[in-house]
Amino acid sequence: MWSFYFSELIHSLPFFLKGLWMTVAVSGLSLIMGTIIGFIWGIIRASRNKILRSLIGAWVDLIRGTPFLVQVFIVFFILPGIGIELEAFPAAVIALTNLAACFICEIVAGGILAVPSGQREAARASGLSAYQQLRYIILPQAMRTILPPLVGQYVLLVKDSSVVSAIGVVDVTRVGWLTVQRIPEGIMVFGLVGILYFVICYPLINLSNILERRMTVVATKL
Amino acid sequence: MISFKNVNKWFGDLHVLNNINLEVEKGEVVVVCGPSGSGKSTLIRCINRLEPIQEGELIVDDMKVHDKKTNMTQIRAEIGFIFQSFNLYPHMTALGNVTIAPIKVRKVKKEEAEKLGQQTLERVGLGGKAGAYPAQLSGGQQQRVAIARGLCMRPKIMLFDEPTSALDPEMINEVLDVMVDLAKEGMTMIVVTHEMGFAREVAKRVVFMDEGQIIEIAPPEKFFTKPKSDRAKLFLSKILTH
Repeated sequence: MWSFYFSELIHSLPFFLKGLWMTVAVSGLSLIMGTIIGFIWGIIRASRNKILRSLIGAWVDLIRGTPFLVQVFIVFFILPGIGIELEAFPAAVIALTNLAACFICEIVAGGILAVPSGQREAARASGLSAYQQLRYIILPQAMRTILPPLVGQYVLLVKDSSVVSAIGVVDVTRVGWLTVQRIPEGIMVFGLVGILYFVICYPLINLSNILERRMTVVATKL
Repeated sequence: MISFKNVNKWFGDLHVLNNINLEVEKGEVVVVCGPSGSGKSTLIRCINRLEPIQEGELIVDDMKVHDKKTNMTQIRAEIGFIFQSFNLYPHMTALGNVTIAPIKVRKVKKEEAEKLGQQTLERVGLGGKAGAYPAQLSGGQQQRVAIARGLCMRPKIMLFDEPTSALDPEMINEVLDVMVDLAKEGMTMIVVTHEMGFAREVAKRVVFMDEGQIIEIAPPEKFFTKPKSDRAKLFLSKILTH
């Protein structure tokens, strides 16, 4: 029986690869946009503008304090109620982008604030504009602190993307759910699902470790 | 060149600058001293508005620093500021440190800025260290790179905030020598320091501050031998007994 299910599973591989592609598409798009938005929010959060700073802070707390599944449902089921109708795919990307932006915002703000204040003062005293201070003096130094946890966060977000299967996006997790109804071997089916996530995440975990080591070396050299 | 008129500043309840009046002429070297917390660092930090003032007039090179509408970028480019803790950019070489502001603020071409940067590093005795990162330099060398960084903007004024206080004793002189040279070349300088030898050699006047006020202004010889105020006498007795 087991070998019959196994060969069935092998035949379903193309279906799984399609799901894998969907997972890569949803998390890839969200990570790119989330990184851009997260950096902008993080820079504002570390700035001196009190109103914008606390607005973003409140939003980040709200998102971090609620389950991602609920956020996905709100975007997909509740926004149509006020006239914003979205397909499952864009709804998933929006929800995951926002989640990514919130986590990345905190990492970026933390990295910027960890740069000693004397650096900004020296840059300011030499006549560099606020943008130039950020671009040439603050961010290059903050990146050392930001990069390792940023890539680590990517790993978490790729895994979080499995939640969007709940609104019908056919990602790897969804493919697992659909397949297990035909092939009632949960361990086998979801074992494969797990392996596919691991295939995406493992290189990222390695990258994060390498960055961590390299940044520590640089930090001690400085 | 620099003119304080009835300048006041508070940090919360603390009156850090209390009715300051001070004129510094072009080419003049002024040493500011006083007990810690007397407001001397704040005084020079106001000149390029690292700290804003709340009352009074502060005019630097004919520009109104007290006016919130004044664009500070231009004034800051004319003023070199040397920090106690050097504040070199750790991710850039010595040459990168001294050329970034000329390139980005003055819009000097990169090759030209690097030529100027190399010359300026040679002037402070560090021509061979252009490619070194701050962490590879001693404290005295770092502070000299910081001075070169200021000089590369061809400033009209140089401000020094306790430039030798964070240095090991054997490195103090190499920094003071550079500052003496600068003073002799006619740079307008305000130096917050307790280095009395330096004050005697190049300062035209010593400004003594205590509790946010200027207590006494006198030529160095007079100030160190016959201070008028009791507070200055007390201060000098404390720093000169060693």
